[in-house]
Amino acid sequence: MSVRPGPQPLNLFVSYLDLLKLASPEAIIVLIALAVLTIGLTGDRSRTFPGIVAVVGIVIAIWTTMRLPQHANLFGGMLVISPLNSLFKIVCLALALATVPLAVSEKSMRNPGEYLAMLLLGTVGLLLLVGSEELLMIFIGLEVLGLSLYVMAAFDKTDARSAEAGLKYFLFGSTASAFTLFGISLVYGISGTTALNVIGLKLAMGSIPPLFAVGIVMTLIGFAFKIAAAPFHLWAPDVYQGAPIPSAAFIASGSKVAAFVVLGKIVLVGFAPAHGNAAWHSMLPGWSPILAALAALSILLGNFVALAQTNVRRLLAYSAVAHAGYTLLGLVAGGREGFSATLFYTTIYALTLIGAFAVVGIVKRETGGDDFQNFAGLASRSPFSAACMSVFMLSLAGLPPLAGFFGKFYLFSAAFRAGGNHGLLWLVVVALFGSFVSLYYYLNVLKAIFVDKNASETRHSSPGTHRFVANATIAVLAASVVLLGVLPDALAEAIAKSVP
Amino acid sequence: MIAWTIYLTFAGAVIVLLLPRAFARWIALLAATAGFVVTLVTFFRPDVDLGHFTTVVRVPWIPALGMNYHLALDGISLTLILVTGLAAISAILFSWDVSERAKEFFFWLLLVVGGSYGVFLSADLFLLFLFYELVIVPKYFLIAIFGSTNKEYGAMKLTLYSFFGGALVFLGVIAAYVAGGSFDINQLSQFQFPSQLQWWAFPVLFLGFAVLAGIWPLHTWAPTGHVAAPTAGSMLLAGIVMKLGAYAALRVAMNLFPEGFRMWRTTFAVLAVIGIVYAAAVALRQRDLKFVIGYSSVSHMGFVLLGLTTANVFGVSGAVLQMFSHGVIGALLFAVAGTMIYRRTHTRDLDALAAMNLRRALPFAAFTFVVASAASMGIPGFSGFAAEITILIGVWKAYPAAVWVVGAGMVLVAAFTLRALKRSFFDDGLGSAALSAAAPGLSAGKISESSRDGRAALAPITVPEKVGAALLMFATVAVGFYPKILLDRIQPAVEAMRFLR
Amino acid sequence: MITLEHYLMVSGMLFAIGFAGVMVRRNIIIILMALELMLNAANLSLVAFSRFHVNASGTPNYNAQIFVFFIITVAAAEVAVGLAIVVALFRLRQTTNVEDITALKF
Repeated sequence: MSVRPGPQPLNLFVSYLDLLKLASPEAIIVLIALAVLTIGLTGDRSRTFPGIVAVVGIVIAIWTTMRLPQHANLFGGMLVISPLNSLFKIVCLALALATVPLAVSEKSMRNPGEYLAMLLLGTVGLLLLVGSEELLMIFIGLEVLGLSLYVMAAFDKTDARSAEAGLKYFLFGSTASAFTLFGISLVYGISGTTALNVIGLKLAMGSIPPLFAVGIVMTLIGFAFKIAAAPFHLWAPDVYQGAPIPSAAFIASGSKVAAFVVLGKIVLVGFAPAHGNAAWHSMLPGWSPILAALAALSILLGNFVALAQTNVRRLLAYSAVAHAGYTLLGLVAGGREGFSATLFYTTIYALTLIGAFAVVGIVKRETGGDDFQNFAGLASRSPFSAACMSVFMLSLAGLPPLAGFFGKFYLFSAAFRAGGNHGLLWLVVVALFGSFVSLYYYLNVLKAIFVDKNASETRHSSPGTHRFVANATIAVLAASVVLLGVLPDALAEAIAKSVP
Repeated sequence: MIAWTIYLTFAGAVIVLLLPRAFARWIALLAATAGFVVTLVTFFRPDVDLGHFTTVVRVPWIPALGMNYHLALDGISLTLILVTGLAAISAILFSWDVSERAKEFFFWLLLVVGGSYGVFLSADLFLLFLFYELVIVPKYFLIAIFGSTNKEYGAMKLTLYSFFGGALVFLGVIAAYVAGGSFDINQLSQFQFPSQLQWWAFPVLFLGFAVLAGIWPLHTWAPTGHVAAPTAGSMLLAGIVMKLGAYAALRVAMNLFPEGFRMWRTTFAVLAVIGIVYAAAVALRQRDLKFVIGYSSVSHMGFVLLGLTTANVFGVSGAVLQMFSHGVIGALLFAVAGTMIYRRTHTRDLDALAAMNLRRALPFAAFTFVVASAASMGIPGFSGFAAEITILIGVWKAYPAAVWVVGAGMVLVAAFTLRALKRSFFDDGLGSAALSAAAPGLSAGKISESSRDGRAALAPITVPEKVGAALLMFATVAVGFYPKILLDRIQPAVEAMRFLR
Repeated sequence: MITLEHYLMVSGMLFAIGFAGVMVRRNIIIILMALELMLNAANLSLVAFSRFHVNASGTPNYNAQIFVFFIITVAAAEVAVGLAIVVALFRLRQTTNVEDITALKF
């Protein structure tokens, strides 16, 4: 019998118990989600208790992830355990962990149990995405994540803007996932398999048929949507502004990190032979010029539109578009260095953005809005939140010695090195120009906080414990942004070691 | 030991925030003085090797990238640290009366000073960039919160220009790092970069740094920024921050890419000459005293850049001396204009000032301004003369034609300085009839009336102001009479640089 | 003889119709239907590929057919969530027309 072209046959000898052991983080999160849901249905409407349960569950899941074996591969890549996957499962869980206190301190949240359950189910989606190297599983992960996020975006049923954000996110998201699915079906059709490494091997053997190219492009569209790269970013401003704050934070952080991890694996493992070349003088068709174009467009469009924003959440959304562009630089550069730079950057970015949204949450609770004018005089009202917000903004702007700066440094030097004879210099220049432009609007936020006089009446300060929870979250996040700026090695080394 | 300048200043900044407001200015003064004393001790120690960029501290920081916390010292950096200390102390003395948000004010101020110390001492390219960017944001707040005329616009313009320069520098740093494989400035300055890289990386780096030094087409941030800033802010800007750019251009761009420097130096020399003449000509037409001084800063910094581009020992040493000299003089001029005059009369309009007869009302201010103007014009006996003559000798060797143009520029400098001096202090209220036309919205009669009545109301110059001014005047006179004290320390360090060999 | 190309052609057309529906239609319910069309286009091509990818042993490659079951489930879940959001929005705004949903603007 000749070698079968399909994926390896399902290994039916894996005992169910072993499977459960390898998938224990996911299993634990599902159980906790159900537990939180039950608490939410039966108990009173207290927000603290389900929150504590969720936190404990996530911590346990992190602990079990750390205890997973180094390497395992089940069902032809459907569940892969590798240092990289485990590391990013931990990162995703940590991001979920940071989102829980946001949800708990959100006063308008009426069904905290249900909300946290959706958050945890979304986290399962993240874990599935990160932990698989097979297109079917990736698609399912995307959908599990997406469906939870749609609900989370539309969760505030008293607010028309929340429902609208949810609807827009849903419409754009499911269109994009339909594109991805169709792309996957074409990729499968040409290569006869859905396992990424086998696809890569198959492609390396011959030339790339045009239908496959269509498949690549359509798959990339789906991911460009997830990471909010221009021109597939249209949902982002509305969702960031309209959705409840914890949802927006989670959409901006967790879903992005996982999307970048998977996108990196897909293009660098699955589509590796169709790399092409994005260097200025020697462009070759392939996915890297596509990503390079997306990156350049996102950087320019995101930064310039952000200049005109007067709402901080919308501003963060457009800046997110720009940051997606920067992050893509690492993938365009390719190789180990580029991929680790992308992963480092997206992790840092996610941490920073959750922090920024947490501050926005505090401001919104106290002043009833999240426009620039609501931030005016924050420095005198609450020096602590002001200081943390400036750490987040300056890190996003990429000023040393904050984490965002090192993220950019890794990315730009990877891109500078890649492509013979500094062929990606053009992209680095675009990115540098973009981050120069971005300084203006980040400074504008800081200007509102520190320079402008307190115009808006503070309505009320939130009750003690919830305020404390929010402040503690912000403090931890700001400290980690500063710490990762002073000692970026701590994370960068871990990522570089785990990238195969 | 010199590294303590950085630590003391940053520690001071943190303590200012922690202690009650009443202590803020004293702690700031203490921190700045301590840093200055440390510098002086190092300055007069005979056993310090100032001829080479000698390592002071070196601790591995991010081993994976080859970054070190690496500080080093030579005569050039020591000279600039000295002027930083001088400007810092006098800036604090001249902000003695800041009462609103005083803690924040001194916090930002000390951050600027500490970051500048860091830039001058960094021997690691990355560290240098870090400190360089660290100066920019505090500067923004210093101006945007505490400034005066058009402060938010001025602050934002200044900051964006700085960041634009910073983006160029970042690109250059990445290029140097990727090609040279190291961040160590001493190592990189031995590395032979490929010519093609030098061809584009040198102008990128040089221009990026020179933005902060006020190079001609990108100088427009300087006048508006100076005008918008509070007194201490403009003193720091003129005294320290503009030096950061020139210093880093010398230390990094020219030192690392000598070949690129040779390819581009004539271009930059032309820009510098245009800057000298153009800024002086514009200063002649200004009516706001601070604008006059702001443009004079650009003109003086043009001398620095011109000196750098001569690529000989005289020119470059003169440039460093000019950085010191202008640091002191610029700070002094802004101190007079910002605190001694503006704080008391609430106007900087030269025509309005002309009607006030300030010479009688503020004799000490008049005296200080005369000294500062003389030094600024390059009258022998002041530091400005020593520096500019050294630069001109260097220029004569490199670009003889430029000397004539620059000479014309110096005449213009003298002209606008004398004009400002005369209008602000020595007009004796004459020509106030012509004034009403010149100063719309301010009736001449009213002004002279109010100045006549209010002469007593003009608060006398306070003791801290006198001390601060005396410190700066002493520095410019001392160096003017005995420039050797600095040149002896600067020249060996300049001779050690690669582009001269 | 109906070849793989024919199936792909139909599937591509279905996808295009679905996408056009999403873009052009104004009623959210119709848009949901168009979305379903897009997903089913992918299903069709997967099944076709599966049928024409014959292994050495002569059996079709069944992976894709399993894939299709998952997609059907996912599509059902998606519609459920979508309709829930539509209902939530309808309660607040009394409309299912996307042109009326303009609380958030640039």
